[in-house]
Amino acid sequence: MDFEPRYTEEQEKFRQEVKAWLKDNVPDGIVHPADPIDLTEEQYQLRRELGRRLGAKGWLWPTAATEYGGGGLDVDYAVVLEEEADAFGLTIPPFYDSGGRLGGASIVVWGSDEQKKFFLPPIFTGSVRTWQLLSEPEAGSDLANVKSTAVKDGDDYVINGQKVFVGSSLGCDYMWTLTVTDTDAKRHENLGWFMIPSTLPGITVQPMDLLISGGESGAGSGVKNTVFFDNVRVPAFNLIGGHNQGWKVATTHLELEHGTGGKITRNAVVDRLFDYCRTTNRRGAPISKDPVAREKLIDVHIEQEIVRLFQMRNYWMSHSRITTTYEGPQASYMRKTLGLKMSRHILDILGPAALTFDPELGASEGHMEAHSRAGIIAIHPGGTTDIQKVIMSRRIGIGREVREQAGALS
Amino acid sequence: MDLSLTPEQEMLKTAVRSFVQQEYSKETLLQIASPTESSPQEPWVKLTQTGWLGILIPTEYGGEGGSFTDAGVLFEELGRGPVPGPHISSAVLAALTLLEGGTEEQKKEWLPRIATGEVRMVAAVTEAEYGWLESDVRLTAKQNGSEYSLNGSKAYVYDGESATHLLCAARSDGGSEGTNNVGLVIVPADDSGINTRHLPGFAWNLSEITLENVSADASQVLGGALAGGWEALERAEQKAIPVLCAYQVGGSQAIYEISVDYSRTRHQFGTPIGRFQRVQDQVINLLNALDAARWTAYEALWKLDIGREAADSVHLAKAVGSEGYYEACNYAHEVHAGVGSMTEYGLTLHTAASRTLYHYLGDPKFHRIRLADALGL
Repeated sequence: MDFEPRYTEEQEKFRQEVKAWLKDNVPDGIVHPADPIDLTEEQYQLRRELGRRLGAKGWLWPTAATEYGGGGLDVDYAVVLEEEADAFGLTIPPFYDSGGRLGGASIVVWGSDEQKKFFLPPIFTGSVRTWQLLSEPEAGSDLANVKSTAVKDGDDYVINGQKVFVGSSLGCDYMWTLTVTDTDAKRHENLGWFMIPSTLPGITVQPMDLLISGGESGAGSGVKNTVFFDNVRVPAFNLIGGHNQGWKVATTHLELEHGTGGKITRNAVVDRLFDYCRTTNRRGAPISKDPVAREKLIDVHIEQEIVRLFQMRNYWMSHSRITTTYEGPQASYMRKTLGLKMSRHILDILGPAALTFDPELGASEGHMEAHSRAGIIAIHPGGTTDIQKVIMSRRIGIGREVREQAGALS
Repeated sequence: MDLSLTPEQEMLKTAVRSFVQQEYSKETLLQIASPTESSPQEPWVKLTQTGWLGILIPTEYGGEGGSFTDAGVLFEELGRGPVPGPHISSAVLAALTLLEGGTEEQKKEWLPRIATGEVRMVAAVTEAEYGWLESDVRLTAKQNGSEYSLNGSKAYVYDGESATHLLCAARSDGGSEGTNNVGLVIVPADDSGINTRHLPGFAWNLSEITLENVSADASQVLGGALAGGWEALERAEQKAIPVLCAYQVGGSQAIYEISVDYSRTRHQFGTPIGRFQRVQDQVINLLNALDAARWTAYEALWKLDIGREAADSVHLAKAVGSEGYYEACNYAHEVHAGVGSMTEYGLTLHTAASRTLYHYLGDPKFHRIRLADALGL
């Protein structure tokens, strides 16, 4: 066994190249608000500009195929890119684009050649930002219960309905969604998966007022929105995977969203908490020397180590093309429960300082306050912790008569 | 990065699994555990003949010279039984202690015989005021010229009854509580001054051992002197712990498998109980505890193999592994309800093992404190 990513000489050379490039190309003045909701238009545009520059080098979506504008790089190189971006406090891509990440992967698997040529290059080169539109008022954990409709009319589909918990602040260029294409067909055989330009007439975006958003991988989203479709005409070309084949397409991004890809990154909130407790004195001694605080910090450390190891295992499995079963939702479940437990520990360790981002009486520049809100909220996006357990049960063969397979990733 | 086993480790895993299935059937294990039946000896004799007890002993001392991960693979499979010792206590902890602190003569004298199972050497460390710190050792070794006389009592000694020799932690008589006063003395378990008493109840293979005027000469003192003995034991513990964790992982893996199987085949209310989400919760929690224990254990083993500073991983592995096996048994009992409480079903073998191993080489509380120290908190 070997628990360490090994880098070849070539990869180390690549790392030096990335380091130097990022130093020259990461715009000055990028700041990281504790709550992504505070991301300004100016800050967003700095990140988009960096995204386009990365895209021009194939580094925005490094593992995507070069023929569609990706980098065509091995995942080992993508890890180097992510690690070096992380040193700047950035993710790859450096802006919220879960629609691109999950939608792009779905189009790669299920799109026709023409669709791939049309939709993928703008995503992979960073010229568009994409949102995913999944949940509806009647479809949360039971995603297949969506009620929005897409009715075939000539060469178009006409879409009506409402999507919730969508996207981020500051708009998008594309939206992809799952709607009912056949009201008479059976569950899972009645859906269509559409890639929709956000500028089409009849689309209204309305910000939601939430305690906090988050819990997705990649850059934080900040705002979540309700999106209304009012007789939106979408060309049939924008239907991916075929008529009534939408659920099949959805299994791909759901699998990714449930954590199967795996990641080897540290939890920034854990690092901030430890730093804060080591460097902040209470009653004349660092918080980390208080016996009760130590116990809780060790709890956090242990849980974080377990999450790190699960994510590492998943990364290794997907990298080695070993078929996963329950491992993706397990990592997601553990990561989310860690977040929730941690919010309790932060409250215990820091007291009410955990509840304010006041510059004097708050802690860690508002990051602890943000996590105090996020701990309970972040366990739901991308499948609740309970749903992750339901999926795990099916995958180990106890929830249903037939053991469920993981969604297709290639 | 490569989290797979080597082909040789896969072969070892298969070989040990079929050995355990053949020689340590549930019936055999229950018979060994029974206080009223006489234990069959053949399985242990066959285990010693495999050479596996020498897995961590260098070839120059008659062992196999395997890696820590190799040992993890072996003991994970033994843990599935759970196959009772003295294997970790003798072939892992005592052997490693001899390697860390023994003189060349001592290594030559003892290691080959530990590898063959002829000698079953068990470290007797803890006492009535239970603890794994040097300051917890009270038993005295009074020096008179080149002779030592040992007096005192060891308690909660794991595998103590099956030992042919004890590796006894002793404080030099008159020594203060400072360091370098505690060393290790090798004494034959059948010495007339030694009295071993089985501790009855839920405990799994624990005993009390009293020593009254047990004499030893310098050749029996680890390293030739008491000073430095405790440090050798601590270094050995750091290496033995992840192997013990792998053994606990094997136990958790076995009861995970029977729990999945049971929830698929047991019908209540007209359906397999695995269909009920309350039952699923128990199985999933068991699986999460198992996997957490597995990967913390194997990462620590890997660090030992490549010679990297492993203290934080070792403490992490024991805290997670001991809690994991304990909780895994609880979840398995929830799945099995009344059936799990029946001795003949076999689950309780693990339940008992999980409780005793929870403390062996330090409980989670102990390792959490050490982990905080290792992290510089």
